[in-house]
Amino acid sequence: MLAERARRGDERAFEELVRAHQGIAFRTAFLLTGSAADAEEVAQTGFVKAWAALPRFRSGAEFRPWLLRIVANEAHNRRRSTKRRAALALRAAATDASGGAVPSPEATVVDDERRHALLTAVNRLAERDRDVLACRYFLELSEEETAEVLGVRRGTVKSRTARALARLRAEVGDE
Amino acid sequence: MSELERQLVVLGGTLDVPESPDLAPGVLARLGARRPAPRRRRIVLALAVIAVAALLATLAIPDARSALLRFFQIGGEHIELVDELPSVSPSPSELDLGLALGERVSLDEARRRAGFDLLELEERPDAVYLGPRDTVWFLYGTPAAVRLLVAQTPELMVDEPFILKKLVASGTRVESLAVRGASAYFLSGEPHVVMLVDEFGVVYPETARLARDVLVWEEDGHTVRLEGDLTEEEALEIAESLH
Repeated sequence: MLAERARRGDERAFEELVRAHQGIAFRTAFLLTGSAADAEEVAQTGFVKAWAALPRFRSGAEFRPWLLRIVANEAHNRRRSTKRRAALALRAAATDASGGAVPSPEATVVDDERRHALLTAVNRLAERDRDVLACRYFLELSEEETAEVLGVRRGTVKSRTARALARLRAEVGDE
Repeated sequence: MSELERQLVVLGGTLDVPESPDLAPGVLARLGARRPAPRRRRIVLALAVIAVAALLATLAIPDARSALLRFFQIGGEHIELVDELPSVSPSPSELDLGLALGERVSLDEARRRAGFDLLELEERPDAVYLGPRDTVWFLYGTPAAVRLLVAQTPELMVDEPFILKKLVASGTRVESLAVRGASAYFLSGEPHVVMLVDEFGVVYPETARLARDVLVWEEDGHTVRLEGDLTEEEALEIAESLH
């Protein structure tokens, strides 16, 4: 109901929406631009545009994919204007198990070498395929949300995901 | 979920993603005068129709020949004539029209979900689709054999992400007409390509498809578009029957 209040012009409700969604908005922007500075600007502008667009927000609709759609558009715009997109990298602790960090359960599932190989393959993907994988697996959005965020049909999300996974399998195998 | 997909989820958790800074102060400082108003200012940009012609001399609008680049406006409609036809991939002819139009729904469901009053149609359509940007498509015939395709799109804000782009090759004629006094354009002759393009000018080639004779006009806050194998007279007659 925060979105409904914000839609009617309640800035405090919108502030609550910003605080509740800034994490996912920033993460989305970062995964799509690869740059912390770009991600901050993109996410912030996304919220400002969302505020302006709220009168068009349909009552009862999901706020998160609607917001992320605006953020994804901004990220796309930023990529086009700066003509850059940094490759994603692994956290230092995740790459250096000997550096004192306690291996996480995650690390036991996918070893360092495998993770590096997988990420390298992801970074090599075409932008559209990489965006779909980022939404589906790094942001853990549903197919439906991914379709809304990227502005494509659900069938397109399915086909791009399948194509991207096939490419990854071809490069790193399917252990 | 396959093993590879599971590994991607795990990989996502180990990516070097910085903590989100507190965005709220910066966002709130920028809200300023952009407070949503109950009756928002609308900038009519309903369907931007961009017609691209390789040879302007073949067009049926005489004064278009005087300029290499020319724009036409019908309310929110925007027709652009330029001298180079961009390539389209994938081939529009390979596109499934049913998929391109959007989600297939019943007429009642379209009425319920459209958010505006639908056109009153004398003949019940064979299929109805809800497409991007709240467009409702009424299909007569089948996706493979279209008799008539009617689209109704509410006018859009200037920052709406999608507009419709028309790419018209040299064999397509563009004529200026009127429907109930409103300015209209009739595109006929060789099929032209229609696709969605977002507010940043990014074309969505997957939406590209071939369109035939098209009459388009703006009325009561909507852009209405008729498409089929139509003469100008037939298109105008159908247009007059819609209200």
